[in-house]
Amino acid sequence: MPTKLLLIDDEQTSTSLLALSLKSDGYEVLTAENGRQGLEIFDRELPDIVITDIRMPGMDGIEVLKEIKKRAHTAEVIIVTGHGDIDNAIDSLKYGASDFINKPVRAETLSVALERAKNKLDLQAKLDTYTKNLEQEVETVTHELRMQSNFLEKLIKTSEEGIVATDRVFTVIIYNPAAEHILGYTADAVLYRKKAKDLFSLDLMRKYQAKRHDYQRRKKLEHFETHVRNKDGDLVPVRFTGVFLYEEGRIMGSVAFIQDLSEIKRLEKEVLMSERLATVGQTVAGMAHGVKNILHGFKGGSYLMEVGFKNNDTEKLKSGWQMIQKNINHTSELVMDLLTYSKDRDVAYVPCDPNDIAAEVCETFTGTATEHNIRVTAKLDPAIKTVAMDKTSIHTILMNLVSNAIDACIFDDIPGKSYEVKVKTTLAENHVIQFEVADNGTGMDKKLRDKMFTSFFSTKGHKGTGLGLLVTRKLIEDHDGSIDVFSEAGKGTTFIIDLPYEDIKNEARA
Amino acid sequence: MGKKILIVDDDPDVRLFSQAVLEENGYTPVVAKNGEEGEALIRQEAPDMILLDVLMPRESGIRLYRNMKTHKKYKNIPIIILSGIAEKSFLRSQKVLTEFGGDPVPDPEAYLEKPVDGEELANTIKKILG
Repeated sequence: MPTKLLLIDDEQTSTSLLALSLKSDGYEVLTAENGRQGLEIFDRELPDIVITDIRMPGMDGIEVLKEIKKRAHTAEVIIVTGHGDIDNAIDSLKYGASDFINKPVRAETLSVALERAKNKLDLQAKLDTYTKNLEQEVETVTHELRMQSNFLEKLIKTSEEGIVATDRVFTVIIYNPAAEHILGYTADAVLYRKKAKDLFSLDLMRKYQAKRHDYQRRKKLEHFETHVRNKDGDLVPVRFTGVFLYEEGRIMGSVAFIQDLSEIKRLEKEVLMSERLATVGQTVAGMAHGVKNILHGFKGGSYLMEVGFKNNDTEKLKSGWQMIQKNINHTSELVMDLLTYSKDRDVAYVPCDPNDIAAEVCETFTGTATEHNIRVTAKLDPAIKTVAMDKTSIHTILMNLVSNAIDACIFDDIPGKSYEVKVKTTLAENHVIQFEVADNGTGMDKKLRDKMFTSFFSTKGHKGTGLGLLVTRKLIEDHDGSIDVFSEAGKGTTFIIDLPYEDIKNEARA
Repeated sequence: MGKKILIVDDDPDVRLFSQAVLEENGYTPVVAKNGEEGEALIRQEAPDMILLDVLMPRESGIRLYRNMKTHKKYKNIPIIILSGIAEKSFLRSQKVLTEFGGDPVPDPEAYLEKPVDGEELANTIKKILG
């Protein structure tokens, strides 16, 4: 399409001459005799370039220029001026003329001006297309972004895993329905209002702070089983994964994934319970050994008493009676152990001082220990205060373990060796108190260690019911705790028990 | 003075019981509280019979039994095993030990499974020692 020109000049002769030469150069040329006519044609034909004389009767060139610029920005206007009209020429540039040329109009000058005007038009056209494309692009990207963010939002919302994310100053900015469910707080109460430390214990946060560099190095998420406290103050067992988010080496936030383990824990408990009943049922044969020893004791006791009566021997009567009493105790221990082991009993959290319990247990055994030249020592962590735990369970657990430790020393019985049973308490992280019972007695080899928690396996021969450790382990599991053992034949045995505690209610509120 | 019988048991009550039975029936008891002590007393006292528990610390009961039954001087001392373990289990364990390179050992002269009456124990001893 040829470029459309509009020539406006009151001098008809120069106009028609110019028009002819421009037409021969390939332009489509329109002409007007004055400003008003020129504007009419402009409105109708929308030429690309307007060449107008500056001095015209009626509407002059400057006014025409102003009018055109009002209508369409893109039209290029070239002003034709007479000699000495430099002020007007400069004015015209101010109003947006693309160029001015002097009269008389010379063909080369005009073609240069036209060329320049055409270039500007091209450029403008390209710019327009570009801007339009850009706008379209922005719209597409915005749409895609919106889709993506919707997608992510839905993903987070529908996740079964609780997701809690924070910005760089640990204000919570993402908190999904699963997190609501686990922690009990509504999203409204948490989003932009709470900090990570308001939801998770400081211990947990510190643990993550410490793991942070590990993660950067290994790029592997660390997860562990722990407890979080919900809105009502209850401990919920969870699998916790947390990570700090970095952008270009700088921390930009953090995110925690929490999986509710309550149901799994409940199922685990059920399985354990049925296993336990099975153990009790299956090992009647094993129990027979313990029972046989007890019965033999009764027979022995009654034989001694018979002899005592017959011979009027009080010494025999006395030892026979003692033997019978001892075996009555054995019988009741065995029955009680069996009951404890097979019954599913609720853990009773009561205020107690774990240090006091440990001290009391040590005290109980001092007599027996001294008889056998065994030293019983207690190292109790002064940081431990009164807390809520199952006092009876702790007592039974420690009684069993300390009694075992003392037996391990008696059993070892190497002349000259000085035996010691050490009981230690430690206030550990994550609301846990650690109990340690260590002896330097006979110890266990691997075979023995593997069998250790199996029912009715007793190394004590006549002394044990074989249920002690089994009962101990059950009490610890009921208390959501854990038990670890380190033992070496000839070196001794160390039991480490971790038991969670709860703060005393009114103290926690204060 | 009656025949000398060695009691080897780690349980003091069992020792007391067996001792009373022996004394009541006119035998002379000698007591050891584990296998090592028992072996020493056999050399020292040369008993006419051994009353042995096999479940003792350091497997010393089993060791005493196998040492004596393969010893040319002492293998003819009759041994009565008095244990909470069933006789079948004990005999099976001895077969396994023999298969693992031990010398074959003859069965004990008598095997009494706890609990045992005083009379039963006395009768068993009498039957063997005559």
